[in-house]
Amino acid sequence: MLTEHGLRWPAAELPREAGRAISAAYRLSPQPGEVLDRSRRFRFRWDGRDYEGFAGDTIVSALLASGVRYFSRSFKYARPRGVLTASFLDPNCTLQVGDEPNVRAAHRRLRAGMDVSPQNAWPSLRYDARVVNSALGRFLTAGFYYKTFMKPQRLWPVYSAVLARFASGGRTQPDATHGYYDKRYAHLDVVVAGSGPAGLAAAVSAARAGARVMLVEEEYEIGGHLRWGGPADLARLAELRAEVAAEPGVEVLADSVVTGRYDDNWLAILERGRPGGGERLIKARAATLVVAAGLVERPFVFAGNDLPGVMLGTAVRRLINLHAVRPGSRAVVLTGNDEGDAAAADLRRVGVDVVRVADARRGEGISRATGRGSLRAVELTDGSRHQVDLLVTSTGWTAPTSLLNMAANRPVWDATAARFRPGSDLPDTVLATGGIVGDGSTEELAAHGEAVGREASARARGDRPAPVPPLGVHPHPALFRGPTHGFVDFSEDVSSKDILAAAAEGYDSSELVKRFTTATMGPSQGKLEVVNTVAVLGEAVGRDMAELGTTVWRPPYAPISLGALAGRIFEPVRRTPMHGWHEAHGAVPLVAGQWIRPDSYGDPHAEARAVRRAVGIIDVTPIGKLDLRGPDVPELLNLVYVNKWSKLAVGSVRYGVMCAEDGVVFDDGVTGRLGEEHYLMSTTSSGAATVEEWLENWLQTEHPDWRVHVTALTTAYASINIAGPQSRTLLSRIAEEPGGGRMALSPEAFPYMRVRGCRIAGVDDSLAWRIGFTGELSYEIHVPASYGLHVWEALLAAGEDLGATPFGVEAQRILRLEKGHLIVGQDTDGLTKAFSAGLAGLVKLDKDDFAGKPELLWESQGPIESPRLVALLPADPMLVPAEGSQIVRGSARIAGRVTSSRLSPELGRSICLAQVEADLAEPGCVVTVVLPDRRRVRATVAPQLASVDPDGSRLRG
Amino acid sequence: MIRIPCPHCGPRNSSEFRYAGEGRPRPDVRNTTPPEWRGYLYERQNAAGWVRENWYHTAGCRRFFAIERDTVSNEVRTVDR
Amino acid sequence: MTPRAKPARYSAGNLFRRGLTGSGWPRSWREHDLKSSYDVVVIGAGVHGLACAYYLAANHDITNVAVLDKGYLGGGGSGRNTAILRSNYLTPEGVTFYDRSVKLYENLATELNFNVMFEQRGHLTLAHNDGSLRTMRWRAEVNKLQGVDSEVIGPDEIKRLVPYLDVSSEARYPILGALHHPPGGTIRHDAVNWGYARAVDALGAQIHQHTEVTGVDVEEGRVAGVTTSRGHVAAPVVVNCTAGWSSLVSALAGVALPITTHPLQAAVTEPVKTFLRTVVVSGTLHVYVSQTDRGELVFGASVDPYPSYSMRGSLEFTEELAGHVLELMPGIAKLRLLRQWAGLCDMTPDYSPIMGATPVDGFLLDVGWGTYGFKAGPVAGEAMAEMVATGKTPEIIAAFDLARFADGRLVGEKGAAAVGH
Repeated sequence: MLTEHGLRWPAAELPREAGRAISAAYRLSPQPGEVLDRSRRFRFRWDGRDYEGFAGDTIVSALLASGVRYFSRSFKYARPRGVLTASFLDPNCTLQVGDEPNVRAAHRRLRAGMDVSPQNAWPSLRYDARVVNSALGRFLTAGFYYKTFMKPQRLWPVYSAVLARFASGGRTQPDATHGYYDKRYAHLDVVVAGSGPAGLAAAVSAARAGARVMLVEEEYEIGGHLRWGGPADLARLAELRAEVAAEPGVEVLADSVVTGRYDDNWLAILERGRPGGGERLIKARAATLVVAAGLVERPFVFAGNDLPGVMLGTAVRRLINLHAVRPGSRAVVLTGNDEGDAAAADLRRVGVDVVRVADARRGEGISRATGRGSLRAVELTDGSRHQVDLLVTSTGWTAPTSLLNMAANRPVWDATAARFRPGSDLPDTVLATGGIVGDGSTEELAAHGEAVGREASARARGDRPAPVPPLGVHPHPALFRGPTHGFVDFSEDVSSKDILAAAAEGYDSSELVKRFTTATMGPSQGKLEVVNTVAVLGEAVGRDMAELGTTVWRPPYAPISLGALAGRIFEPVRRTPMHGWHEAHGAVPLVAGQWIRPDSYGDPHAEARAVRRAVGIIDVTPIGKLDLRGPDVPELLNLVYVNKWSKLAVGSVRYGVMCAEDGVVFDDGVTGRLGEEHYLMSTTSSGAATVEEWLENWLQTEHPDWRVHVTALTTAYASINIAGPQSRTLLSRIAEEPGGGRMALSPEAFPYMRVRGCRIAGVDDSLAWRIGFTGELSYEIHVPASYGLHVWEALLAAGEDLGATPFGVEAQRILRLEKGHLIVGQDTDGLTKAFSAGLAGLVKLDKDDFAGKPELLWESQGPIESPRLVALLPADPMLVPAEGSQIVRGSARIAGRVTSSRLSPELGRSICLAQVEADLAEPGCVVTVVLPDRRRVRATVAPQLASVDPDGSRLRG
Repeated sequence: MIRIPCPHCGPRNSSEFRYAGEGRPRPDVRNTTPPEWRGYLYERQNAAGWVRENWYHTAGCRRFFAIERDTVSNEVRTVDR
Repeated sequence: MTPRAKPARYSAGNLFRRGLTGSGWPRSWREHDLKSSYDVVVIGAGVHGLACAYYLAANHDITNVAVLDKGYLGGGGSGRNTAILRSNYLTPEGVTFYDRSVKLYENLATELNFNVMFEQRGHLTLAHNDGSLRTMRWRAEVNKLQGVDSEVIGPDEIKRLVPYLDVSSEARYPILGALHHPPGGTIRHDAVNWGYARAVDALGAQIHQHTEVTGVDVEEGRVAGVTTSRGHVAAPVVVNCTAGWSSLVSALAGVALPITTHPLQAAVTEPVKTFLRTVVVSGTLHVYVSQTDRGELVFGASVDPYPSYSMRGSLEFTEELAGHVLELMPGIAKLRLLRQWAGLCDMTPDYSPIMGATPVDGFLLDVGWGTYGFKAGPVAGEAMAEMVATGKTPEIIAAFDLARFADGRLVGEKGAAAVGH
């Protein structure tokens, strides 16, 4: 029975592999260019059985040498698949190695003890139940899933779970280790991507001209296609390698790949095969990038083109010459170029019976390949039929122009060469050489590379760009598809028939056909498939390749592990000088942006009570601190704060609120005047950097004439708030006047909202502020950061008899809520202007100018419709509505929300701050709060924001 | 990663800087109107091609400065100050 | 007027019959000569433009409509987004709007006879600090009041839903909780575009791909038509449904917009066996992750830090993305990134769209879609169609008018939507 592709059903069950555990039935005698070290044998496992190979083997070459032919089942139809390209791009040789999924096993070097398994087989590679899909192939054309599984829609997840079984790819483990990944920066004049004869020559000539060069090769050895060539190629390769080795200015990276070219020649270079098998990302700013990526051989489309035993010319040449593997016994070769001719010659040389060479240049061709499970016979267009186990095709090339596309270059179709070639619009920082631009003998390619290398070096020096001589092309027959249909995309199981059907349905541009059929979307990133896809599309719509163009290749050029991209995780963490003390004393950590702060030391309510009854100390080092000096500081303060600053006396402190130009509150804090022309501004800890930039912006762009110098001091000082009725007593025990002698702390000598220099616990250059967030009598001290821990411990020692207690952020939140102090960003949001934040008394509209003034002026002139900040007392005093609970009118109309809520240890009841619509903001107003469990509770608007000490007598005492 | 030519520090990776927007002149707050002020707040040229814009060298000299950038190619050039 | 066509019905039975007989399917949309006038010209053949044309025909019987696109259909943001749907917004107007969109999406496959693969697999927004946990609670409460299924859940429940997540307290940004939104999920974005396009064509409106609008004609304050790369078209109503180019297209009509255009990048890995059902978002780490039925992980992040019309993508995006993904799921370090891409997002000052009338009569806007446009395709199309048909602004989009910026009536979605996928 024939399937939709005109093929036999693939076998559900494959013959037991001829390969025996330790066998080398297909291993050739030593080859001149082989990369094997036959003195080192490695044992490894494949699909649960033991195998052996040599050092230098790829996983696949070792298995092929042992007689293994099947490596995977295809994505959709579960067709058995074998080697196609014998390279990194081989769509059929993606395997699981240990806990690493999707290993390119036709590239990856064998290591002793590897545990290799197939990944796309269900339940096993030998027997795969999904072959039934092949029988249904005619119904499962590309995009069939768009046309069914619609009803009922709610069942789609069930269908989709079935489809998800088809997910190709390997397995990951949730508890797999992250591993160690490094990164490297490189500073280079010239990076050469690719080391065929042109790339090698370019690297050498650039280095000889004085450039620092990095030569990056995807494969394990440099040399490109010369490596699998004949004696002349090998001799020339040896010369070129010697030249590179002799050039100290060239750093060679093998098994590495330039994965991306980003703006300004910022290059991503992936170094694979680091010790331990890891990958490393190198980031390089190269003056000039030379792309010498060579050519990728294109598969040919015909019925049976995916049968194990059908290979590309380059695949058999690699297998024979690099890995000493005999790829088959009887072969037909279809050739349209030198590579195919050479493949036929190589096969004959190693004793394969080449029964027929079909020459496409003379109009000969293939009709179909047949076989159940693997290749048995080939039918040529002349009607002849040949029983063979190997069919080799060499029908054309694709220029992998990815890196050039990333430099905004669009490939153009060259009908003579029958491939896309780079367009002429390359930026000056990017050059291309070798097969990617044209054809030539080894000497012609090397000469072109040499010229390009020289020019790359000259451009890196800053010379005016000169044109590079062109490299011509050789005529090549346009070969894409035979008279039958076959696979265009192997990893996606997309056939040429699928493309024709998609085009007929209207998916008739390169982009639409790609999206609809998923051709070119698989792990080989379209390098094998894109030209055939466009060609078949062209056939369907009657337009030529030039008109259709190709799709744009996006980065990365080769897949790159998340580990390599991430590198070591560098997330800065900021700790205060007292952090170690907090940890040693059981602090519960709180992540606050980059800072780690003590949330509490175990019992925040006890900490809050200690502050209200006696005295507590809190580490407030993260508070932003900006030192402002110069005669025009008052001008600046008047501009950035909504209130007035002209008359602030030396030693005085004022609270201020900053609004953005749209009137929205964005930061608050106190600023004190330390000297005639010297101020210290404090900001919220999260806003410190933003405020610094905000000040600089005004100073540099609007008022460059103002003389103000801003210096960030946040981490130069450790800051401690000492709060509670005993705070004065405590501070008096360790604070001295700057010149010595007990510091005068009486309410008259040091009243509320004053700041003074002092010496604390023997530490000079300290500051004491009489301010506070908790509502208690309190002092904030700033001491040079290196003495922070000393002062912290001195305070606790001096205050032991007073009950001095460290408190954390949670206790501070409770205390400030009791006092009704708002937190910008919690009790306000992205639209809260100063008036709706309850700050009307602070806004001085009679100032000439300040940030956001026009918006606040207009807000003040009309009825203020935006929500207001109020304190709320829930009717049930033990009920704390979660922060974020909504306040509603009627059943569900939202009229506000709870922004802060806690149980107050001082009052023994719950208290909240809330934003409510203006008409609900009157004291005594009863509102409905909806709790997360949907219960509705009542709460009353309090007369003022502060629930504890509303008249501030404690604060000022 | 594009490079920003800082007039004080030389060309550096853009990750050292913060984009500070199209430089729009601030209206005179004493007699501005809502349309004028909100145009200043919200409207942007958003041109495709060469634009003049401000950057702030956060991880460097902490200076604001103007450059020109082609918003299509991300090519950058200095401007006369 | 283009005659209506009866499209071939998509069904399992018809797949089987056509498979047996080997007969192919007819074109999903036809090509047409550009006429010299239409009743309505829609600029942009993405999900918004196509949905607008669809609802014009389906709900209001207006079919003398041309949808113009400078590229291929669905090739802009509609084909570049990460195809995540949700309605757990912060503001009541946002919730109402996106909830309507999710409801339209739920029924879309049946309505369009095209499987759009909407899979309500659940959507988690992680909270790594008490501030974001508070915002999650706020969102959950707003959502519940509007009948949208959302709840704040704790680390144990999160681990049960997504075993790969590191919920330990040792993480640099520990996972304290999450907003769980069961109706959120993923959809096949291309299928939505194609489904609408096929229906638009069947109902008699015309789609013109590769037809760039180069001018908008305004006469005495009224729109008169557009100039295109294929000639001039007269039309009394022109709807700008573009993304990425919306300020440039509006400028053709002399309408200035409060928009900056930023690239938004995304990336996809090689496929691995399915392990992640739920959509996972972290605002603090600026990343969102989902796994497709094909096994690929799809990642997105926040918009690029400076405006640009470049879609080339950057390395720093993938580096940061990978770092943040591995902080959440350390077990997938060996998974490889296969492809990155970018789309263009038109960001507005209040993270909400601009919809409706402009100072130019008949020139309507459906723009400013930031990073959330695909989610809104159906409801935006429905509302714009109603506006074209009735001449009145539908209530559901009233809050999104252009005049709100001059009037100072911004929408408060900013806090929630910064990385709110």
